[in-house]
Amino acid sequence: MPDLLEFRSVDTYYGDLHVLKSVDYRIAEGEIVCLLGGNASGKSTTMKAIMGVVPPRRGEILFQGQPLAGVSVADRVRRGIAPVLEARRLFPRMTVYENLEMGAYTRQPGPELEKDLERVFTLFPVVKERLKQLAGTLSGGEQQMVAIGRALMTRPKLLCMDEPSMGLAPVLVEQVFDIVKMINRQGTTIFMVEQNANMALSIAHRAYVLQTGQVVLSGAAAELRQNDLIRQAYLGEMVVT
Amino acid sequence: MTIQAKLTGPWPEVASWLRARTTLRTQHASMACLLLVALLFPPLINNDGDVDAAANALSFAALALGLNIVVGFAGLLDLGYAAFFAIGAYAYGALASWQLHPAWSSFWVPFQWLDLVSEVDGAVHFQVSFWLMLPISAAIAAFFGILFGAPTLRLKGDYLAIVTLGFGEIVPIVARNSPTLTNGAQGLNGVLPPVLFGYQFGVDATPYYYVGLALVVFLMFTSQRLKMSRIGRAWMAIREDEIGAAAMGVDRVRYKLMAFAIGAAFAGATGTLYVAKLQTATPEMFMFPVSVMLLVMIVFGGMGNVWGVVVGALILQILQSWLLQDLSGWLQALGELINVEWLQHVDLSQSIELIFGIILVLMMLYRRQGLIPASRRVAGLSLDEQAAQVSRGGFDALAGLGSIEERRTGPLLEIEGLTVRFGGLVALRSVSLSVPAHGIVAVIGPNGSGKSTLFNAVTGLLRADSGSVRFAGQQIAGMPAHRILKLGIARTFQNLRLFPNLTVLENVLVGMHSRLRTGLVGAVVRPPGTNREEHDAQERALEILSVFGNRLVPRINHVVSSLSYANRRRAEIARAIATRPKLLLLDEPTAGMNPAETLELADQIKSLNRLGLTIVLIEHKLDVVVNLADNVVVLDHGEVIASGPPDVVRRDEEVIRAYLGRSANVA
Amino acid sequence: MSDTTIIVQQVINGLSLGAMYALLAIGFTLVYGIMELINFAHFNVFMIGSFLGMWALESLGLSGQSQMLTGFALYGTLAFAFVVAMLGSGLLGVAIERIALRPLRGVAGTTGMITTIGVSYILFNVVLLVAGADAKNYPNPMPVVQWKVGGATFDLRQLLIWVVSLVLMIALQLFVSHSRLGKAMRATAQDSEAARMMGVDVDRVIATAFFLGSALAGASALIFGLYYNYTSFLIGYSAGLRAFTAAVLGGIGSVTGAVVGGILVGLIETLGGQFIAVRWTDVIIFSILVFVLVFAPSGLLGRARPTKS
Repeated sequence: MPDLLEFRSVDTYYGDLHVLKSVDYRIAEGEIVCLLGGNASGKSTTMKAIMGVVPPRRGEILFQGQPLAGVSVADRVRRGIAPVLEARRLFPRMTVYENLEMGAYTRQPGPELEKDLERVFTLFPVVKERLKQLAGTLSGGEQQMVAIGRALMTRPKLLCMDEPSMGLAPVLVEQVFDIVKMINRQGTTIFMVEQNANMALSIAHRAYVLQTGQVVLSGAAAELRQNDLIRQAYLGEMVVT
Repeated sequence: MTIQAKLTGPWPEVASWLRARTTLRTQHASMACLLLVALLFPPLINNDGDVDAAANALSFAALALGLNIVVGFAGLLDLGYAAFFAIGAYAYGALASWQLHPAWSSFWVPFQWLDLVSEVDGAVHFQVSFWLMLPISAAIAAFFGILFGAPTLRLKGDYLAIVTLGFGEIVPIVARNSPTLTNGAQGLNGVLPPVLFGYQFGVDATPYYYVGLALVVFLMFTSQRLKMSRIGRAWMAIREDEIGAAAMGVDRVRYKLMAFAIGAAFAGATGTLYVAKLQTATPEMFMFPVSVMLLVMIVFGGMGNVWGVVVGALILQILQSWLLQDLSGWLQALGELINVEWLQHVDLSQSIELIFGIILVLMMLYRRQGLIPASRRVAGLSLDEQAAQVSRGGFDALAGLGSIEERRTGPLLEIEGLTVRFGGLVALRSVSLSVPAHGIVAVIGPNGSGKSTLFNAVTGLLRADSGSVRFAGQQIAGMPAHRILKLGIARTFQNLRLFPNLTVLENVLVGMHSRLRTGLVGAVVRPPGTNREEHDAQERALEILSVFGNRLVPRINHVVSSLSYANRRRAEIARAIATRPKLLLLDEPTAGMNPAETLELADQIKSLNRLGLTIVLIEHKLDVVVNLADNVVVLDHGEVIASGPPDVVRRDEEVIRAYLGRSANVA
Repeated sequence: MSDTTIIVQQVINGLSLGAMYALLAIGFTLVYGIMELINFAHFNVFMIGSFLGMWALESLGLSGQSQMLTGFALYGTLAFAFVVAMLGSGLLGVAIERIALRPLRGVAGTTGMITTIGVSYILFNVVLLVAGADAKNYPNPMPVVQWKVGGATFDLRQLLIWVVSLVLMIALQLFVSHSRLGKAMRATAQDSEAARMMGVDVDRVIATAFFLGSALAGASALIFGLYYNYTSFLIGYSAGLRAFTAAVLGGIGSVTGAVVGGILVGLIETLGGQFIAVRWTDVIIFSILVFVLVFAPSGLLGRARPTKS
């Protein structure tokens, strides 16, 4: 299968701070890949690099074999990359419907758009009930549904999710992960940053482990779950011993 | 042991820092030369008009120095600074002129003895000495500085600027509308010129030039001394990160007001000089454009840099007084020569503000640090110096900790029923936990579960909605952050709150703020006690930094924004230790560190604990938690869902479900 | 005139002034809402707008208030002047943003605000150099038509102010709430990073905010000239500060707030001038500004928080 997304020795900086250090990722079409790592290891920066908010200083990022350097955020979205941001980041004083509209900002209105809207409603019946409500008044779980729905409105090939489980109750986390699996089965590739390593590895095909801006480990999710380093550092191995 | 003795050898950077102190001597020599030139200026130039312009320039340099305290040091953008200039000017103007002339009565007799007033035609003539009024005007202006500063304390930078602008406009309008006191728009009449040992200053510019020069020299000296003191560091800490400053024990209210007051005092004294020289004052002399001109001067010269500010002020004044007129003359002559009508009427003396505007925009776009930047970057380290000499804890004394009191027993920190709400969201719900003295407690939980909020509530950065926090038996809920720090709770931040443009050493010295005593007078006069305190503080700072081996010591003069992530974490911990805490709250101290660095830091934390420090840490790396903590508290959705020794907690069903997800048991 | 008549008269005058301030205040609020920038250049964009309107009227051969027009000629002339003043000011606003502010994107603190003070100074002094310091007699082709309301009078100029302001404000409201770019503006104001990730071109949104705000300032400036029959390089500062006070009073960031604030400031100015003293109106306005910022920083309708947490 061809690579949908590829990082080739990418380095990024914030001012003097070297964040990603010669990072390589390859994500094939149809995969769920998760990116594990502690806080400040460069996970969110990876997401920002994909979206073009933090451009690489060295190295390149390719999407469908095309380099992304110089491509605007809007064009990345048009090409099929959609972000689900950390902590949801809905527009709190816009209605749920307007939030979904913002997801489709780069697209022309038309029957295709309506179809995608219907798809979101099918995935998240609760979203349909709340269309006229201001997004800021929703519960955390509902907000996450809208955030995913908003990303789906771009009809993405690649969904980049930044900590979808953050701040959600366990039962909701499971729900979100089930939906992620479903979206993936419908053909969307998923690249997911997650702190909840166990959950993430349970649905992912492959994973990368990031540490101080470097990929220190990668492989099939099932193998990584057996890896000692992962077990100790990320799976809360103290539970399982 | 002196710093020199301790630091020769392995850390060449320190040696060069000490060398930098000796270059002060060359600096002193060049300063003496400059002063000589300034002193000889009037007799050499021998042109009253030029000396007059120079005297005015010095007045504006003095004003710029005052504004620099507020804007450059403390980072409080003041757009109405001219108001304090006005207040100083009118204070002298009213007390040394014919403006106020109440009827004479016996009440005034004692003042007559003091030569403050005299009787003229049955009315009182105020004739307070200029020299007496210099400090009095400064004090009056300082009072108004506090009065106008107080309401702005909670405001963000740009809104603070607008409020000061409002006050800055109100003062001259009130002056214009209060003719009894100020003679309104016509301006004060007959302000008395100063007299010194019988010498009448009169209208000749030279004596004013010398007074102005003395004032500028004095204010530069004061500014420089303040900047290099505990007080200057507190101001710069507020400028760099207000929350960080408060968490390090800086009383924000006090130091902001101090900056306003001192800045205003500079302007008050200068106002007195200025009005004595002009022998009149009109409200138009103190409007918004004056405040902006002063802002342009310090932006141009370099905010926060005392020399830069003076140079900026002088250059712009010279431009205004001489160059613009000359330039207009040349352009007009050129216009006649080539017979271009409009060039013959060009008058650029009206256009100084155009130039100010251009300077302001260009400086902001291309050189925000000004002509002479306040902080310079130190060259990077050589490869040799960069090689880390790992220090794996194991130290058994640390002067920076001071003497930890005798071993306590029982809990040091007791939290009961702590609840924090953000709007409708409950961030902490009735959290209770207890930290035994000399123990290490780890707080774990998913991101967003309220761990950092807990730290914020304990350290006073956040006001809890209900609940109690007792530290060493004392209720601390509701106390301001700097007082809680002083009691002995220090912290680090998950996202780091270092002062980015200060050096590593300065950051650590700010941490010592609450343990040092130097006050305003001490900072300027520097009696032996102050010098010793400062010297000891620097020595202690170095000792604390050496906890981390050679990771930070060679970099003490580097601004922290040039450090690596791991070194920033270490610098923040060093800064927290410098506060001499009993309880240290570490928010993800190992985030962004690789396993080797993590292990190294864990050892160092363990050593700090053995020295008697009680530690609470938020940590995601479970190996670190198991390794360090006696007790683990698990937060989820703002509630404590489990607590106990690591062994017990890790078997707790609820923890497994909440923190580790459903598949934990699958593995 | 009885007291009631005086009050009615001053309310009419105050509403007219208020509408003018409201249009000007919207520019502050739009820019602040999106980039948390207090734009001092706006003061003198307003001032230049009044000159643009004046030159547009003069280019049609008008000078002073002697030539009255009626019917289509009047509407056409006014429409032309409004288009010139609004378009010219709007483009000036965009140019300022592009040249002086865009390079500072991402620079924190008060840098942007200080830059706008510099820009404001430049605009001010360029007009001073080009047009001179004297007050200009503003061409005004409107016939003097007055209506009596009780004892108070109400004239055509005031009607024009109200109608134009109302139309512009409704148009703006429709734009912001229904157009694609308007929604992008709101989204950017609420969370600019998230908006950017949705593919919103934030630079374009900011430029739009500057264009709209400056164009409304241009309209407000033309109204100023037609109302007072004069303009000068000095008018920006006091009108600008009143409008800024209006934006703060209404709640900075809120367009409705700017309108409400503008009208209140207009009323305070006329009624305060009548019942206290004109020489104190500035102090009253500045005191309101300070008071609101210090004690009620989110204003009447705002959500923005000028204080730090």
